[in-house]
Amino acid sequence: MFRRLIPLVAVVAMVGAACGSGDSDDSRPPATQTTTSVPRTTSTEPQEPTTTTEAVDGGFPVAIDAPNGMVRIESKPERVVSISPTSTEVLFAIGAGEQVIAVDSMSNFPTNAPVTDLSAFTPSVEAIASFEPDLVFLSFDPGDIVAGLEAIGIPVILHGTALSVDDAYAQWEQTGAATGHFAEAVGLVADTVVNMETEFDSLPEQEVAMSYYYELDPTLYSVTSATFIGELLGPSGMMNIADAGDPDGSGYPQLNAEYIIASDPTLILLADTKCCGASGETVAERPGWDTLTAVVDDSVVELDDDIASRWGPRIAELVMDVVEAMLELEPSNA
Amino acid sequence: MTVALEFRDIGVAFGPHQVLHDVSVEVDAGGWLGIVGPNGAGKSTLLRTVAGAVPYDGSVLVEGLPIDSRSQRERAKLVAYVPQRPLFPAGMAVFDYVLLGRTPYLGPLAAESRDDISDVWEALEALHLVEFAARDVATLSGGETQRASFARVLAQKAPIVVLDEATASLDVAAQHEVLELIDRLRKEMGITVVSAIHDLTAAAQFCGRVALMDGGRIVGSGQPGEVLTEELLGTVFEPSIRVIDVDGSTVIVSLRTEETLSDQ
Amino acid sequence: MNAGRPSTTRLHWYWVVGATLVLIVAVIAGVMVGPIALSPVDIMASIINRVPFVSLDTELSVRDEAILWEIRMPRVILGVLVGSMLSAAGASYQGVFRNPLADPYLLGAGAGAGLGATIAIVYAPATSSWIVDPLPLAAFVGAIGGVALAYVLGYTVRSGRTAVTLILAGVAVASFLTALQTFLQQRDSDTLREVYGWILGSLNTAGWGDVALIAPYVAVCLSVVFIGRRLLDILAVGDTEAGTLGVRPGRVRLIFVIFATLGTAAVVSVSGLIGFVGIIVPHTVRLLTSASYRVVIPLSILVGGAFLVVADIIARVAISPGEIPIGVVTALIGAPFFAVVLRTSKGVVS
Repeated sequence: MFRRLIPLVAVVAMVGAACGSGDSDDSRPPATQTTTSVPRTTSTEPQEPTTTTEAVDGGFPVAIDAPNGMVRIESKPERVVSISPTSTEVLFAIGAGEQVIAVDSMSNFPTNAPVTDLSAFTPSVEAIASFEPDLVFLSFDPGDIVAGLEAIGIPVILHGTALSVDDAYAQWEQTGAATGHFAEAVGLVADTVVNMETEFDSLPEQEVAMSYYYELDPTLYSVTSATFIGELLGPSGMMNIADAGDPDGSGYPQLNAEYIIASDPTLILLADTKCCGASGETVAERPGWDTLTAVVDDSVVELDDDIASRWGPRIAELVMDVVEAMLELEPSNA
Repeated sequence: MTVALEFRDIGVAFGPHQVLHDVSVEVDAGGWLGIVGPNGAGKSTLLRTVAGAVPYDGSVLVEGLPIDSRSQRERAKLVAYVPQRPLFPAGMAVFDYVLLGRTPYLGPLAAESRDDISDVWEALEALHLVEFAARDVATLSGGETQRASFARVLAQKAPIVVLDEATASLDVAAQHEVLELIDRLRKEMGITVVSAIHDLTAAAQFCGRVALMDGGRIVGSGQPGEVLTEELLGTVFEPSIRVIDVDGSTVIVSLRTEETLSDQ
Repeated sequence: MNAGRPSTTRLHWYWVVGATLVLIVAVIAGVMVGPIALSPVDIMASIINRVPFVSLDTELSVRDEAILWEIRMPRVILGVLVGSMLSAAGASYQGVFRNPLADPYLLGAGAGAGLGATIAIVYAPATSSWIVDPLPLAAFVGAIGGVALAYVLGYTVRSGRTAVTLILAGVAVASFLTALQTFLQQRDSDTLREVYGWILGSLNTAGWGDVALIAPYVAVCLSVVFIGRRLLDILAVGDTEAGTLGVRPGRVRLIFVIFATLGTAAVVSVSGLIGFVGIIVPHTVRLLTSASYRVVIPLSILVGGAFLVVADIIARVAISPGEIPIGVVTALIGAPFFAVVLRTSKGVVS
């Protein structure tokens, strides 16, 4: 169910954007570059402002090299429909929230997003078209939704599940470019990069490498380091116990309960708190789990499923939660 | 003589189709009643009322009491039934098949006793099936399966046996052998036999009483000589039917008419 | 003169001993083999230590003990219970419906359990605030509800309440419930993996709690089916003849369906919809021994338990430390194995 995507190539040309930005910041990439060139390791540089005025963007039409092909947007979209909880979060984070007229039923963040009963899992061309959008974001095309919308002249950007962190950043920047908020999007990426690096930098050297078990659901499905989440948590220096359990490379193996007990991960990260009610208490009640160091030391981290299952700007919060839990452990670990 | 089995005013309807109209016929204990008549006359339907396989109006009396006033098990101890085409389950040994006849004597959860087992061997012996005991019942020949079903009937030890076209699938010799066997068992064990029977000659030779059915009604009943006459059979079957005496035995045949013969 | 002669179809002692040995070997293997290597000597010592007043030294850490006693043992025991119950239920269904393709999910128990589980997963996220875990309860209720619905539908048919109308009603109910289940599942993509995982079946997270939850049901249902097994042979000659032999076919069928369903509902509520066991185990027994249910039922109980334990060993070690859904394993190893049995047998399957 996790779709493989062709890697995003990014925004091309035609974007006016940050060149005319008031702050003459050299680290800011010129907008004409592809977004893959946005510096990801800016820890030595000052944090950038996240807000820029809309005036700096605004050069329409733009052509977006989206995963579903080149999408041409003639003028600044004012009736954006997002059928993707991640896109909704990104749109609001880059200041495009006012242009959004409808989001799908699962888009519960931010809370002021105009939620409708549009389904992200079984989207319908007609239902989407009834909002008369001038731009649609999708995370999933189960059939011919993209083709259907394009056929009636509605530009669609299909931003599927991010396979890597860079993939996510490129999506954010495309979202910015498509809505006239490219500078903010670039700023958001840079901020996120910096924030997460600051978090990871606060970690002391691990004398013995820590390890983590990341739980997708109570039947012990997990993620490996090869996934988006695994890559996100890579700089923490922790070992992912799921890596050994994925011989076929799906990235999402179901782990054996015995193996988890024997691995005795330093941290247990629960990404199934909302869906499945997992918590520190329910984990401790599982047979044999009361012997786990993480349970005894109370280092079971209850993550927000929504953040963990999306690839939006709140990934920094997830990293913060994990780092915080690691820091609490440090004294005993040292 | 006491009446063993009596059909009283039996009516059967399948939806709008009335297939039996007030059928009344009885058989004395130890007797053999043959039900004869053309296809679709209602012979099988009448016998199926005994098995409880069709809903009916009127009553079926066994030894003077309505059959449905007795429990299913008591009924099975009194009346054994062999349908026109018995089901012989693949993979079931002949012994096990015959053993099913002991069912009415076992509690729902009880196992067969030593006596039940020896009853089965006796029945197998009576029907010359001992060497077939371990054979898969579904692999038997036509005559052998008939014997297997009679062995089951014997093991059931019911005083009344209802046979629906018991010999329909057999050749002349095998049919005769089976009918003789039934007659022997009837005489030796004093059982009452009610059978639907296609072969009029066989009915005339073996049945003490016959009931001739047509269109869901009894059109004649009594001794074979009274019922199986050319007049009556001629109206029910076809005019060309002949009742012939061969060395004291009645033979009933249908002759070709001059009309069809002259076509050749 | 024949009084001492035995009947031809008996549950021969060597069949029972053979099947019991298979089960014992499977259980021992299930306890010994796992993704985490524990030495057999230590496992034996740890087991003997459970005997009062005995204390042996073992190399097992506290965590190893937990793996052995909290995870592996209940998983093996649960495998035995689930495998035995599904096999006995499958054999019962095949008997009462005189249909070799019947399995425990025929009348909608599987579809009902799937719908119940999906409703629980989608609408009642498990939290510790529930007194009982809603998932097994909903699956249990769903399974029984599905079969009850099929029975009501099958018995309101005006003409002929036969086994066939009941099967058709079951097929209709199963399709309907599966459609509802799919509808709910598709509406709520967040829970898709959990629903899907449940449907494929797993013993991965089993504990003693699950064993205790289903053991009473399995014990009662297996006992009833075992004691009444002779009646299934009677039904083999058809409803009419069975009736003239003194049994009430409709009532016998109802009793077997009730207990087969109750047991199936109980086991699927904790294991998910493990398929194929209920068909191939009884048929394998039938092909290797006898078609009589006096033999098929008891041997299916023994062999079924062994089969699922072996399937579960494969599920947890084949791609260790990853897991393969056990339903996939039962089909993957079960189908070829069954094909071999089918080819080499004398072919007495009805």
